[in-house]
Amino acid sequence: MISFEDVTKTYRTDSRDTVVALRDLTVQIDRGEFVFVVGPSGSGKSTFMKLLTREVEPDTGEIWVAGKNLNSLRRWKLPALRRDIGYVFQDFKLLTNKTVAENVAFALEVIGMPNPVIRQRVPEVLDLVGLSDKATSKPHELSGGQQQRVSIARAFVNQPPILLADEPTGNLDPQTSIGIMKLLDRINRTNTTVVMATHDQHIVDSMRKRVVELSRGELVRDQARGVYGYAN
Amino acid sequence: MRRWSYILNEAAIGLRRNLWMTVAVVLSVTVSLALFGASVLLRQQVDAATDDWTGKIEVSIYLCDGLSCPPITDSQQDELLTDLEGNPLVDQVFYETKEEAYQAFQEQFANEPTFLESVDETTLPASFRVKLTDPERFDAIQTEYENRPGVESIVDQKELLDEFLAFTSTIRWSALFVAAIQMLAATVLVANTVRMAAFARRDQTQIMKLVGASNWYVRLPFILEGVLAGLIGAAVSWGILVVFVPWMFTTLQESLTFVPFLTRAQIAGIWPWLAGPAVVMTGGSSIVALWGFLDV
Repeated sequence: MISFEDVTKTYRTDSRDTVVALRDLTVQIDRGEFVFVVGPSGSGKSTFMKLLTREVEPDTGEIWVAGKNLNSLRRWKLPALRRDIGYVFQDFKLLTNKTVAENVAFALEVIGMPNPVIRQRVPEVLDLVGLSDKATSKPHELSGGQQQRVSIARAFVNQPPILLADEPTGNLDPQTSIGIMKLLDRINRTNTTVVMATHDQHIVDSMRKRVVELSRGELVRDQARGVYGYAN
Repeated sequence: MRRWSYILNEAAIGLRRNLWMTVAVVLSVTVSLALFGASVLLRQQVDAATDDWTGKIEVSIYLCDGLSCPPITDSQQDELLTDLEGNPLVDQVFYETKEEAYQAFQEQFANEPTFLESVDETTLPASFRVKLTDPERFDAIQTEYENRPGVESIVDQKELLDEFLAFTSTIRWSALFVAAIQMLAATVLVANTVRMAAFARRDQTQIMKLVGASNWYVRLPFILEGVLAGLIGAAVSWGILVVFVPWMFTTLQESLTFVPFLTRAQIAGIWPWLAGPAVVMTGGSSIVALWGFLDV
């Protein structure tokens, strides 16, 4: 489903230094897996996520996502790649002038889904995230946890095989975070691959899923049913 | 089509949100296109005023018809023609009868019935219209033929025409020059406006890109926003030309009765010359402005 083969990515800074964001990263993620990508700020987590959606391109190495080789993927085929990936942001990124239902429908509208499909799927996914009664609310009327649920609904409404979540609980309190994790777990059970970048230790420890740890751009640990630190 | 209603709707929202910026774009497009349109109209006006007959000939030798000098006899006329044809300076000679002169006159001034009425078939003289091998040798022709019996006058049409054309082309180029500068300003303004619009809605476009909307679906509202503003500017400049140019002509007609002016319908027909550049200018500028900016 996702495959990184000796991937290196460097950034050039203003002072013409190069900063290595990822170095020789090789990792495989299969369909239906739930993977935490952990590590401190600057460890390469964000770069890893951006490489998956090809917001950035690697210097060297090969990346495969959803059966597509991202190195040779034509630019005009990028939208097709993005439709295979749902993306959940730390800061939700909901459109403030649209209602909950409109925010979710937006993701289908802009990829040209016909109206009947939109009318069917939006209530379904709002039901899945437990927000059926908030369909006509505006984002500012919702709590942080509820807003993140809308964001997840929007990412999942097109039923992509891959869901990426970048620090989805970063702005939420622990109690609310648990609810979000349950939701992501439920989505994972529909055979959706979930990749979540986080540095929330409690969540990683409580879920006991696969953990990929990055440090200064290098893979330092890849452990099935892992915890945040080197506990075992 | 819901796609198109979305794109048009977004473009309209953008225009309203940036109202003053839109006004600035519309005004600068209007000014540049009004100047451009005026110079195109001037060109058409010149073409209409100088028929292609006048364009081909260089020298007119008007023949006496009894009004200001004794009428030319047939033998004098034959002799003159033979001499002209044998003259190495002469490339071609056409004989224009009084009737032909009147007919050409009627065609040229078809739009001005009052002026036509003042002239009848007998007013205009017959002439030899001469094309020279070297247009600069008018003097030689004039000295040789002006005192011939039966010759009323010799006119260097080319010189008259050249003066007129030089004058109008100066005006035309000045207008085009100012139009070009104004167009450049409009282009930069459009690019800036479109970038601002894209920046104001960057959250929305970021989401669109990440859920896999196609590039054109993301960009088109912004491009259309620029093009719509440009088309409004084109429409306003068209209105200005259609209202003010005929009004100017009416004033001019009092002193220049012999010049045939463009009709209002002909002036209105200039719209493709305004809409075309407006679309190319604003569309092109918007596309360039978004290059890389909204790239995935």
